[in-house]
Amino acid sequence: MTDEAVLDLGVIRALHAPRVGPKMARLGQLASAGWRVPDGYVVTAGVLDEWLPLAARAELARLLAAEKAHDLTWLADQARQLVEDQPLPAWLAEAVGAAHERLRARTGLAAVLRVAVRSSAVTEDGLGASFAGQLGTYLGIRDPDDVLRHIRKCWASGYTAWALSYRMRHGLPLESRDLAVGVMQLVDARTAGVVFTLDPITGDRGRLIVEANWGFGESVVSGQVTPDYWAVERRSGRILERREGTKDVWSVLDETAGAASSRVVLMPLPAELARVPCLSDEEVRYICEKAAELEEAEGVPQDVEWAIARDLDFPDCVFFLQHRPETTWSAAPAVPDQTPPAKAFDPVQYALRNVFKVPGT
Amino acid sequence: MPADSPRVFPVDEFVRDELYPGYRQAFGSQPFVAGPVRPFSKADNARYWLRDSLHFSEGMVPASIALLDDAQTWGAQLGAEIVGVPPTRGSVNRLAGTHVYIGTIDVDTDWQMQSRAARFGEYVSPILADFDRYWGMRAAELQAAYDHFDALDLTSMDPGQLWTTVKDAYAFHRRAWFIHFEVMYVLTANYLAFYGLAEEIGLAGSQVSGFLAGEQTFYGRTDEELWKLAAHARELGVSEPLLRQAPRSVRANIEALAHGKTWWRELEEFLATFGWRTEETCRIDTPSWIEDPSPALERIASFLARPAGFDFDAARAAAIAERDARIDDARRAVNGDDLARFDQALASNRAANFAWWNEEHNYLIDRRAAIPVRLATLELGARLSDAGRISRPEDLFFLFKPELFEVMESDGTAWANLAALVPDRRAYFEHWRERGPSLPTMLGTIPLTVPDPIMIEVFGLSGHFLETLRGGTGGGEAGPASAGGGEIAEIRGFPAAKGVAEGVARVITTVGDLHTVLPGEILVCGGTTTEWTPAFGIIAACVCDTGGSLTHAAIVSREYGIPCVVGTAVATQAIKTGDRVRVDGRAGTVQVLA
Repeated sequence: MTDEAVLDLGVIRALHAPRVGPKMARLGQLASAGWRVPDGYVVTAGVLDEWLPLAARAELARLLAAEKAHDLTWLADQARQLVEDQPLPAWLAEAVGAAHERLRARTGLAAVLRVAVRSSAVTEDGLGASFAGQLGTYLGIRDPDDVLRHIRKCWASGYTAWALSYRMRHGLPLESRDLAVGVMQLVDARTAGVVFTLDPITGDRGRLIVEANWGFGESVVSGQVTPDYWAVERRSGRILERREGTKDVWSVLDETAGAASSRVVLMPLPAELARVPCLSDEEVRYICEKAAELEEAEGVPQDVEWAIARDLDFPDCVFFLQHRPETTWSAAPAVPDQTPPAKAFDPVQYALRNVFKVPGT
Repeated sequence: MPADSPRVFPVDEFVRDELYPGYRQAFGSQPFVAGPVRPFSKADNARYWLRDSLHFSEGMVPASIALLDDAQTWGAQLGAEIVGVPPTRGSVNRLAGTHVYIGTIDVDTDWQMQSRAARFGEYVSPILADFDRYWGMRAAELQAAYDHFDALDLTSMDPGQLWTTVKDAYAFHRRAWFIHFEVMYVLTANYLAFYGLAEEIGLAGSQVSGFLAGEQTFYGRTDEELWKLAAHARELGVSEPLLRQAPRSVRANIEALAHGKTWWRELEEFLATFGWRTEETCRIDTPSWIEDPSPALERIASFLARPAGFDFDAARAAAIAERDARIDDARRAVNGDDLARFDQALASNRAANFAWWNEEHNYLIDRRAAIPVRLATLELGARLSDAGRISRPEDLFFLFKPELFEVMESDGTAWANLAALVPDRRAYFEHWRERGPSLPTMLGTIPLTVPDPIMIEVFGLSGHFLETLRGGTGGGEAGPASAGGGEIAEIRGFPAAKGVAEGVARVITTVGDLHTVLPGEILVCGGTTTEWTPAFGIIAACVCDTGGSLTHAAIVSREYGIPCVVGTAVATQAIKTGDRVRVDGRAGTVQVLA
């Protein structure tokens, strides 16, 4: 096996994208630049291909070529089951176990550490379409064995009906390859959500859009609620628009399942929280400011997931979980920033425009 | 002909009464950007005219009209033209009898607005960027002129020198007023820009003047000195004559007391610095405190009625604390880029502070610029009356400047005709002086709104003010107070300075009656100017017919920490001296209790 089956986030840079996927490569790059991102490690994409036993591969190939394979639901069930049934090799368990121990040590959380296990397709962004939310992501896992099982689930998620259909449409080999898995410290989120560095509805580059809900971000990214909404003027940081969401559910840790196996689940949101905006204006502006910085560094509009940790002081509590190029508008011709030119306080301009109302000023 | 003797090429052949056949130029039609002081004509019904009792409460004698031309007419027009203020070409004045009304000259084509806007920034920006130096230069120029005029020994001049001095004094007066409006329009731009920014970021524009409060002014120092003189009068045992005798006869009685001479010397030292001021603007007929210290003595007497004195340090500290609290409140309400712009605007307006300058410039311009003209004219008048040309020196105040110049620069044979006009003109002035308090606040067509923020914030032409006037009969003798037969129980205006006070009203229509105000009373008046400032140390509250957030009464009330409501339109008519009233300076209301 490769001696680098697992990479700690601290060593990951942009150049590792072919092995850890662009998502994790960007996160590593971000961490190295001093941003507040959850610590973690990545099981590299090569592992999947090394690990799956020959017999299982032959079986997979047979399934994919089967006459019944046009029934994608059937095919997906069969393929995923097959992957999930494969025993994990000791070398992988060792490597993941060691990385997990290192992470526990770095975070100082020891056995209390909970993680998110996220698929990270090496090609997901390069294809020009968003895989966001289509591959497996599992939150709140604590036990290393459980982590291993969910890494395998991530690999299996490469055979969902959606993923198969996608590859079919694009004339790609149906085998799921090149899938890395990130294991990140789970930020104990008071509030979480996304920020787009342009208006995803209109493509207006002058506005940043924040959507958020109480608890973990899953309720937002999976579209389970109408989140709270803010539109922020890029140039001034001013909040131009705010809409209260219909926040009837939230993503929280399900403590009833027992401490060891508790997971993030969707629960009814207490009424007293539902009525309250889940971010302060200060938090909204900070998130937008940082997202704009990210866009600046990346050179294209970004779609950024973030979470605000409980029990940490602002702005240390704001974590950036992942970011990727915004896919809807980046292929379209750029819509210029539609806000009027910058308005520093120039007494002459203000007098002419705002008070004397001279036409054309 | 010797080479050094003058040579004349006669113009006689070209002398005409008409410029062209059928066209004779009207008097005064040339030297103005927009138009000189004139009486009303029927066409003036089409626009609004505001009575300017703020600056000229008692009317103008003929010689004052040239000074008014220099100031609110020519000075404003030239200032607006040179600065390039886009929406206005300054102000015009009309006279109702001898009383001054002001109107604005709107620029009403887009092209003119835009072409003025294009040069406006070039003129204004460098001045605002370095305002201290710029105003320092102008103030030094004015001060140098005063040093020149004040040092002249008029009585020992030969006639030619004296006439030259009259002409120099008029030339200086005109220059002083150009400086006035040049600086005013530049500072106005800065102030209005802050006003516009405040509105854009969700604050009220009228809050802005409150952010600029708490700056010391020359007249603020004057008032402190007057309080000190009052305290010394008490210590030196000279209060009695000040309290009991008319100012004109008080000197001998004070100097007869043990420490009387000491105190009077202190007064004279005070006057040497602070006494170069008249009670109104452009009024050649009002003496300076140097000539007649009565206004200072009256103020000292009114301060003696309040033995505790006035704690200026505490009042200023409170005014600054209040200002800073308002700024903090405003800053909390905005953020991000808005906050950055707010801070820039605040810094720009502190460096070039219209609210401060609006009071500060008076001692260098409004209340002083006419004194050299007055003193030289009086000396000339003394000589002419000695020569039997006129009956007393002040008769010259009843000649128009062109009349005086023509007679002085010709052979002087016209004196008899001119002198004969004086009694009628004097009677005319007296007639109108008496009518002054009953003249309407506005004439012409009262608009729904006035777009010019200066007219709103300084003169108080708010929507409420205009609505109140439209609802009444024009604000004259039969004002809205008596309309409908019912008494007005509550009067509304602009909330100019916070606080609540209840007390007895004292209605004052001219600054000459200001000394009748008693400590703890509530001053009710048309509007106030610098001359009214000392009263703020003894009154409990102030209510004005006119005014907005930038009005003298509003600014001074904040410094003195008393409640103030301005722009009520009707207070002097709805309230009578002796009424018990309650003023709420935060709500902007005045209740007549009984």
